[in-house]
Amino acid sequence: MVFNSLTFLIFIVLFFPLYFGTKGRMRLWVCLIASYIFYGWWDWRFLSLIVFSTAMDWWFGLWLSYGNAPEETRARCENGSPVLRFFGKITEIAARLNLSRKAILVFSMAMNLGFLGFFKYFNFFADNFAALVRSFGLTPSWTTLNIILPVGISFYTFQSMSYTIDVYRRQIRWEPSLLRFAAFIALFPQLVAGPIVRAADFLHQMQEDKKFSWANFNSGLGRVLWGFFKKVAIADSIALFVDQVFEAPNAFGSMHLLIGVVFYSFQIYCDFSGYSDIAIGLARMMGYHFPENFRTPYFSKSFSEFWTRWHVSLSSWLRDYLYIPLGGNRHGRWDTYKNNMLTMLLGGLWHGANWAFVFWGFLHGLYLILQRMMAPVWRRFVRLIRLPKLAGDAVEMATVYSLTLLAWIFFRSGSIGLAGGDSFATAGKVIGGIASLEGFAFGAVVNKFQVVKGVLLIAILLAVEVTNIRFRWNELQTQNPVWRLAAFAGLLWLIAFFGTFGANAFIYFQF
Amino acid sequence: MKRIIWFIALLLLFFMGDRLAGHFLQKLVEQSQFRYSRLYRGDAAAEILLVGNSRGLNFFQPYMEEITGKKTFNLSYNGMPTDLAKVLVEDYLDRYPTPEKMVVDITNCDRMNDELLAGFLTYSAESFRLDTLINSKLPKIWWGGKISAMFRFNNEIFQRALYHRNRTDENWLRDHVISAKLAAEGSDKPYPLEIHPYLVRQLKETVITARAKGVGVELVIGPYFPGYRVNNLDVLKNAVEEATGLPVRDYQQVLTDPTCFSDFRHLNVKGSKAFIERMKSDGVLGN
Repeated sequence: MVFNSLTFLIFIVLFFPLYFGTKGRMRLWVCLIASYIFYGWWDWRFLSLIVFSTAMDWWFGLWLSYGNAPEETRARCENGSPVLRFFGKITEIAARLNLSRKAILVFSMAMNLGFLGFFKYFNFFADNFAALVRSFGLTPSWTTLNIILPVGISFYTFQSMSYTIDVYRRQIRWEPSLLRFAAFIALFPQLVAGPIVRAADFLHQMQEDKKFSWANFNSGLGRVLWGFFKKVAIADSIALFVDQVFEAPNAFGSMHLLIGVVFYSFQIYCDFSGYSDIAIGLARMMGYHFPENFRTPYFSKSFSEFWTRWHVSLSSWLRDYLYIPLGGNRHGRWDTYKNNMLTMLLGGLWHGANWAFVFWGFLHGLYLILQRMMAPVWRRFVRLIRLPKLAGDAVEMATVYSLTLLAWIFFRSGSIGLAGGDSFATAGKVIGGIASLEGFAFGAVVNKFQVVKGVLLIAILLAVEVTNIRFRWNELQTQNPVWRLAAFAGLLWLIAFFGTFGANAFIYFQF
Repeated sequence: MKRIIWFIALLLLFFMGDRLAGHFLQKLVEQSQFRYSRLYRGDAAAEILLVGNSRGLNFFQPYMEEITGKKTFNLSYNGMPTDLAKVLVEDYLDRYPTPEKMVVDITNCDRMNDELLAGFLTYSAESFRLDTLINSKLPKIWWGGKISAMFRFNNEIFQRALYHRNRTDENWLRDHVISAKLAAEGSDKPYPLEIHPYLVRQLKETVITARAKGVGVELVIGPYFPGYRVNNLDVLKNAVEEATGLPVRDYQQVLTDPTCFSDFRHLNVKGSKAFIERMKSDGVLGN
């Protein structure tokens, strides 16, 4: 089920009365069943995968807790529900293996990454290994499998892994209720495309029954409408132009291609941050708080800042569970560079089984390294020529945005690769076409109407986001009913006038 | 109670604003110089009626009028399928004196185009036929137009009407020469022309209606880039000839100069002039 569909509208209208009409365990059941319906609407067969993955990670949490505090855990299991007693007994048997806590964690990670690897990367690695073998003059005889990628697997796997790691690190306590844990993993607003909500930030919120609050409801609904505007009006409208550019780059001149790439940077931002806005808004309407996932990333003045503003829940996940455990920036310059690069390469691979995504990660790793190398030189240069702060900031923002655009070309081409096309050839044509400067005039642009509409929508987006820093629009509408009336009606008009209503899937569903 | 009043106020504000804006946008469209605004305003009488998809824009009107001395009106639009063209032709024939000729580029039997049809919601208030076609093929879009008046103007057709508010669209043609890079790719990928029996039937009915009114109908296949391959073009030609009982004049390879094209399927002004001259000498445009 996608947010921008009539089915979801009916689903959510039925869900809220049930949610607020129940309490305690019954409410958790409502959340869980609704979330499984939401997920199963796409393909019910993959529900078994998410159920298994949930039960497995919950049990690993129990096993780790058994290692942390065996007596206490045993007592809780014996006095708990039949499910808890059953898993308690299994854990007692498993405990006889005398595995260290670290070994349990490694086992858990292997299982999680094994699922992810099989469903997402099996064919990728099999194909590449076959190509490697062929390069030595041998002829491998295996075939690839027709594997369907379960929607959201990268998101819920990372969410689930964070729980096990945090229990291992003793940063959170093991969750005794499988029902609550399952509802947390599957909670529909964030299940298929994030934000990646960590157990430490969220499980405790599910321990109390959130009461209905108009303030939360209005604030959440405002956020949902803004998310819909970003997705339906901006992302889906400019997608028409972007798709043409990447389907046949040679058919267009330099200016057309450049506009296509700039549009893509806003398409992916509005598509993904729009989804996050809807997810955060829905959670707020339910009384929950999800972490922010985007903070006007294209205003970043450095790449390290960019990664604190773009897909924050993933970048902070990678920082806390990969970059810092690798050593972060604690072991000297070269180790820091290595850790930056490794983290970004894996971040790229997380997005999809295609070398173009890995290359996108490589570029961002390279940018981070170059930034670390060049920052002192740049600061000296700024002091030397006495560049005003505003001009310095503008140069930095423009540099970060331009280099991000270059990386987006490979990222968008990666989607073509996933669909069976040649990612690098497409990216090469786009970059070559822009660099050729053939047709570098607005007159040479095809479909100018789409350009005008896209520019207008991006201008609205930037105007709202820039002024939001000062005015906090969503808070304003929550406090003042007249403002709310104007804001909601305004957003509905914008959606009616600019929206593209094809129930187009969100880009990040493929990841 | 306060919440209910607030909610009713929101609905009222939305619908009143929407209707007001819709009315204003409708006025803008009605006053435009865009071809369909002129069609429904009663400002499109012509002796030669031109019909097609983007390749129908190859009928460069200023030159056609210059060398024939006849007034032309072009109903063509990018990606226009024959079911939509049929409605527009019928609306034209109902509203204007019978034109001497109607020239149709038959490659508009190539594809369905629901997106374009949805765009014609902008003119649905002007035409019962259009409204019925949209309702039958795109009921969700049609309902969207009933709920929100602004939604009727949420499309490229409206944007073009706005763009041509004070300027003619009769010279609408991409006037540049195909790039060498693109031309080099020409023989690699044949254009996958599809044939939809439904669209061929729609063309047949258009031809029957026009001929019943006394219009001289000419069916043509406009020029393609030299050496450019189009799958199924001969099959389409035969299907249309069989359905309509009229010969199709095949100009697909009459222009051998690559500089006559803006891409593989579209002419520039130079090419269009050469094509029009050829049609005139063949008597397609009348005496």
